[in-house]
Amino acid sequence: MTAYLIRTIDLTATGREIVRERSIETDALTIGRAAENDLHLADLAVEQHHAVIEPAQGGHLRAHALGTLGFAHDGRVVGEASFNSQEGAELGFGSYRLTFSQDSDGLVTITQRQEAAAEDTTGSGEGFALAHALPSKRAMSWALLSAILLAFLAVPIFSHLTRERVEPDYKADGQVTMDAAWSTGKLSLAHHGLEDNCEACHVDAFVAVRDETCLACHKEVQDHALVSRQNTGRGPLPIGEQMQWAVATTFGKEGPGACTTCHSEHEGATRMPPPAQAFCAECHSGMDARLTDTKLGNASDFGDDHPEFQAMIWTERGQREPHRVSLSKKPREFHGLAFPHDTHLDPMGGVARMAASLGPRWGYGEELVCKDCHVLERDGASFKPVEMEQACEGCHSLVYDKVGPTFRTLRHGDVAQMLADLRAMDRAPRAPVVSGRARPGQFAKGRLYFSDFGRPGGSLVAINRAMAKGGVCGDCHTPTTRDGKPDVVPVNLPQQFFVHANFDHEAHEEEKCSTCHAADKSKSSSDLLIPGIAICRDCHLGEDAKKAEVPSPCAMCHTYHPIPPGKPRKDHPKVHDATLPVRFAPEKCRMGDPTPC
Amino acid sequence: MALRPKRDFEFHDTRRDTDHESFLTHDGYRWLKIAGIASFALALAYVLIDPQPRHNGGTWYGYTLGTIGAGLIVWLSLLGVRKRYMTAARWSLKAWTSAHVYLGLALVVIGTLHTGFQLGWNVHTLAWALMLLVIASGIYGISVYATLPSALSNNRREMTRAQMVEALQAIDRQLEAAAQPLRQADSDMVLSALGQDVFAANAWQRLAGKYPRCATRRAIHSFAHVGDDDAYERVRALLGRRLAQLDQIRRQMRLKALLEVWLFIHIPATIALIAALTAHIVSVFYYWG
Repeated sequence: MTAYLIRTIDLTATGREIVRERSIETDALTIGRAAENDLHLADLAVEQHHAVIEPAQGGHLRAHALGTLGFAHDGRVVGEASFNSQEGAELGFGSYRLTFSQDSDGLVTITQRQEAAAEDTTGSGEGFALAHALPSKRAMSWALLSAILLAFLAVPIFSHLTRERVEPDYKADGQVTMDAAWSTGKLSLAHHGLEDNCEACHVDAFVAVRDETCLACHKEVQDHALVSRQNTGRGPLPIGEQMQWAVATTFGKEGPGACTTCHSEHEGATRMPPPAQAFCAECHSGMDARLTDTKLGNASDFGDDHPEFQAMIWTERGQREPHRVSLSKKPREFHGLAFPHDTHLDPMGGVARMAASLGPRWGYGEELVCKDCHVLERDGASFKPVEMEQACEGCHSLVYDKVGPTFRTLRHGDVAQMLADLRAMDRAPRAPVVSGRARPGQFAKGRLYFSDFGRPGGSLVAINRAMAKGGVCGDCHTPTTRDGKPDVVPVNLPQQFFVHANFDHEAHEEEKCSTCHAADKSKSSSDLLIPGIAICRDCHLGEDAKKAEVPSPCAMCHTYHPIPPGKPRKDHPKVHDATLPVRFAPEKCRMGDPTPC
Repeated sequence: MALRPKRDFEFHDTRRDTDHESFLTHDGYRWLKIAGIASFALALAYVLIDPQPRHNGGTWYGYTLGTIGAGLIVWLSLLGVRKRYMTAARWSLKAWTSAHVYLGLALVVIGTLHTGFQLGWNVHTLAWALMLLVIASGIYGISVYATLPSALSNNRREMTRAQMVEALQAIDRQLEAAAQPLRQADSDMVLSALGQDVFAANAWQRLAGKYPRCATRRAIHSFAHVGDDDAYERVRALLGRRLAQLDQIRRQMRLKALLEVWLFIHIPATIALIAALTAHIVSVFYYWG
């Protein structure tokens, strides 16, 4: 039998200790939640019969668990423990702590104490508030504030200021980090390569995109007109716009003539939209009052305020350069050729029969049609020059001789060569050198070795006939003499009639040619078959027109920036080609070759 | 009333009216009218003005709308400062709150027109989205303040919050005593029920009012078919009472969470909006077109 002194320490609500002592003499000291235990621990974490303590050898005490749950021995959870109570030990069961000690007369004292439960929040009403389960509003605010300012402001600005300045490169990525979040929208397709290279255009902080930046790549772009003339033409701005520009120039905008005034970016990944009509009308509306020496008519809206077209044509024989004439003056064209369109297009006429007899093998249909002579360029907008060999020679043959199965043909476009060929036409009838005697054998006329040594008098007649009206040349060409020799006047067929505007034939392919060009009624080649503005206005009216089938801003036909010479482009009119005198020498004249031929 | 001097009557009558007037109806819907007219006028101008090439934040009208919008956002966010100082008369806190609500609603029109409906994945649209979030949370806040307090009051059943907690604690004490004779596996169930702090619920649980891991409910289920002696019967009854008390507390927490959650969005989103707005304005002028 071992004697134990059990000292139970309880705490009152105010924290005062109540100590009770009792003695037990037993061999096996039982511990558990059940009331019959020697040490009754009222804690649901303690088993009904949790453990037993028995004396062991050497004055030790041995504690071992009865159930599956262990207990803590000096802080470590064990199922069995042996200890010397003289040295002291602490056993833990649930929230209870049993401290062992032994006094000099061998009495084992067990101090039983319940640890205070962790302070919970149930005592106050605070737990009801949502704030109990969420971070504070202040903390969330600070976190969001810092994250946004860091990611969307500090990082891009820092990397922009510390970047290495390099030449803008369309294909390269930018160095500035996180500035994609600053983009207000996708760039136009032409600028797509710069999508991730903001600083290529936005070079300096708080300075608007400058013209010099655009011109770094667009090197060929030229001014619309002298800047001084532009400013005169524009005239004083309205008060409202003046105020806007006053603000804009403070932030580095360059003024009304800058690139970005007309060209807005970040409007979506489409083709860059053409600048609005208002930008053109700003100057061209009533411009003659401000720019008094201008030759241009006022224009502010295609439907309401636009002058009649002016065609760049030759109107006089001997004229060296073409000039622009308003269609309202009903000008007659002189291009040096005789070509009645109505004869060629008459479906019941001889030309139609000829075309039908040549047939599909030669590319003809039942009659002659426009495209048999006028072939679209690959760009679809304009036409190739009419080539005699392609367009005319199918019917208007230049064959002048036949040797065996082979035909001999005059060379078109070279009068001197033509004369030489006809003179040398050795089969032409000539006067015999000696009359009254036939040459013998194979040397006789019509035999293999026949040769005619007489003067080519007949050839000269043929030459004269060729140049005369109705002759092989004079049928189409206007004969003249140059330096005392027979010649034809140069043929001046304009490639482009309108100098300042572009017309895209492909965009009008739904229409018949005759809708605009009255070729089938034209009896004379001096008829100018270019349609006037009235015909265009059947479908096209100004940008804002509600009635029009096709609302048409200025940029539909006109381009703002002059095209550098020799740079014809699909989306720009080939204005410079039209100003060149075109002589008929197709082997020399090719599209895009600006040198006069 | 009859004893009150007549000259006092008008003063008290005005004050009494003011006391009973909601900030929504303040001064005969003065701010609703102002905000409504302003929104309509700005929207009408948006339709009538035709800037080139199109409406967006960068046209003169876009900058005008943007300036008005940014000014409004700053002023609206100052309510947090203003509400700490109570004053009377025209610029009373009630007038200020009324203006806050209606001008805040007008900001939907002003801010959206400022975008020109050009939205994308960028800091500019972030500012717009945060603005809408702030306004939406404000609308939610007003609507729950109109409906939930009565539900909150009904749920209390004449109990204070402290009393609800007291009741739970009383049940818990009885449960602890009653569970003493139980087998260990069963007393573990009771222990886990007692150990589960009702206020440890996270924000989502509070808002949804759903507690699938409720240890008390689990204990009730597990005790449904075990032990039929008095001790188990008592524990079962006590667990039932505990669950009922938990339900009341949880309903109270849910109603309070639904009532309070808008501010946890409204305030941080406002601050985030001010940050995004700053980034928006600075970036636009930093990378000016």
